[in-house]
Amino acid sequence: MAETVYPFADKLRSFLYMLGMSLLVWLALTQSLEAQEVLVGTGACLALSLVLSTHYIRLGLPPLTIKRAVFFAVYLVVLLWEIMKANLDVAYRVVHPRMPINPGVVVIRTALTSDIAKMILANSITLTPGTFTLDVIGDKLLIHWINVKVEEIDAATELIGERFEKYLRVIFQ
Amino acid sequence: MRRLISLSLLLIVALGISLCFSGAYFGAEGANRAGKLAQDRVNFGQRYNSRGLEENGAGNIVASVVVNYRGFDTLGEVTVLFIAAVGLAVVLSTRREKPARVRAEPASLVVFTGCRFLFPLILLLGSYIFIHGHLTPGGGFQGGAVVASGFLLVYLGCRGKGLRSAGFTVTESLSGLAFVVLALVGLAVGGSLLLNFLPKGSALTLFSGGVIPIIYVAIGLKVGSELGSIIANLSGEAP
Repeated sequence: MAETVYPFADKLRSFLYMLGMSLLVWLALTQSLEAQEVLVGTGACLALSLVLSTHYIRLGLPPLTIKRAVFFAVYLVVLLWEIMKANLDVAYRVVHPRMPINPGVVVIRTALTSDIAKMILANSITLTPGTFTLDVIGDKLLIHWINVKVEEIDAATELIGERFEKYLRVIFQ
Repeated sequence: MRRLISLSLLLIVALGISLCFSGAYFGAEGANRAGKLAQDRVNFGQRYNSRGLEENGAGNIVASVVVNYRGFDTLGEVTVLFIAAVGLAVVLSTRREKPARVRAEPASLVVFTGCRFLFPLILLLGSYIFIHGHLTPGGGFQGGAVVASGFLLVYLGCRGKGLRSAGFTVTESLSGLAFVVLALVGLAVGGSLLLNFLPKGSALTLFSGGVIPIIYVAIGLKVGSELGSIIANLSGEAP
């Protein structure tokens, strides 16, 4: 594997992201703010972040701003809402006597560039019942769709990807 | 020649293990001891339950039994795992010719990005489990297994990335050494192996239980790195 030299700012940012993520996970696990727990947790998270923060560089995490954080919170609500809607839709197709499905595989396009953004988009599409990301190749996503409405790439992108991507573009670009 | 040496090494280890077992169960002394154990075995459980917290300060009575009262047994278990890992390495190294490195199909972007993202957090979860072994269910072995599952994820998700086995060996040796040294310090200080010589702290806080959490951290690191090196061996990354 070719070693790429990353600028210091990237290294620091991925270190801080990993430290923050792992501290959040630690606090969620221990569910306590006692000095001993926090002290040991900080030590463990610092050690992990010092050793492993290079793992996070290649994810392509953007600098944390208030705007991005707000959009991410909004995105979680939107995702939950889309999942609920899609659940009802798939449930309708299941209980309907004629089972109105039209399964097939379509390709959609994404303008997202960083790995983490593409992963979140792909996982959001998978989490939404009825659509399932089979693979991500370059800027194309291979989607299995329970009810193919359009096969054409731009129209499919508009229907499947765009409802998530408009938020992800603000967050990650 | 190399195969012969490896196989005879395995044979010696197997012979040693079987001698240990036969000594414990069939020797005259072993029978005597077994008889004594059978007589008053009822009292052990009562004693652990009633005095375990006060003697060891560990809120989780299972940890108190596993690491302190039956700590010698745990040392043996760790050794069994070590021998299994060594045996596997020996068996794999008898292969005369190295298999041609198969160019593995890289995993999907979703898998390897998720793997990169989750790997440190899985290690953290494993550490959480073995650091809290004396307070909550779980402990060194369970935490170590979770840590190793992180390495397995790296093997599955980031196939280009070799698992470095030198790091495993060092961690494994140091943590194993820490366990034995702590056990021997107990022997030196109070005259019994694995004696809990550190202050017990107040029960149910993180800094309690004397040597138990320290030994559990050592066991967790040892089990994690050992299972990790087994994964590295099986995936053909190790020399």
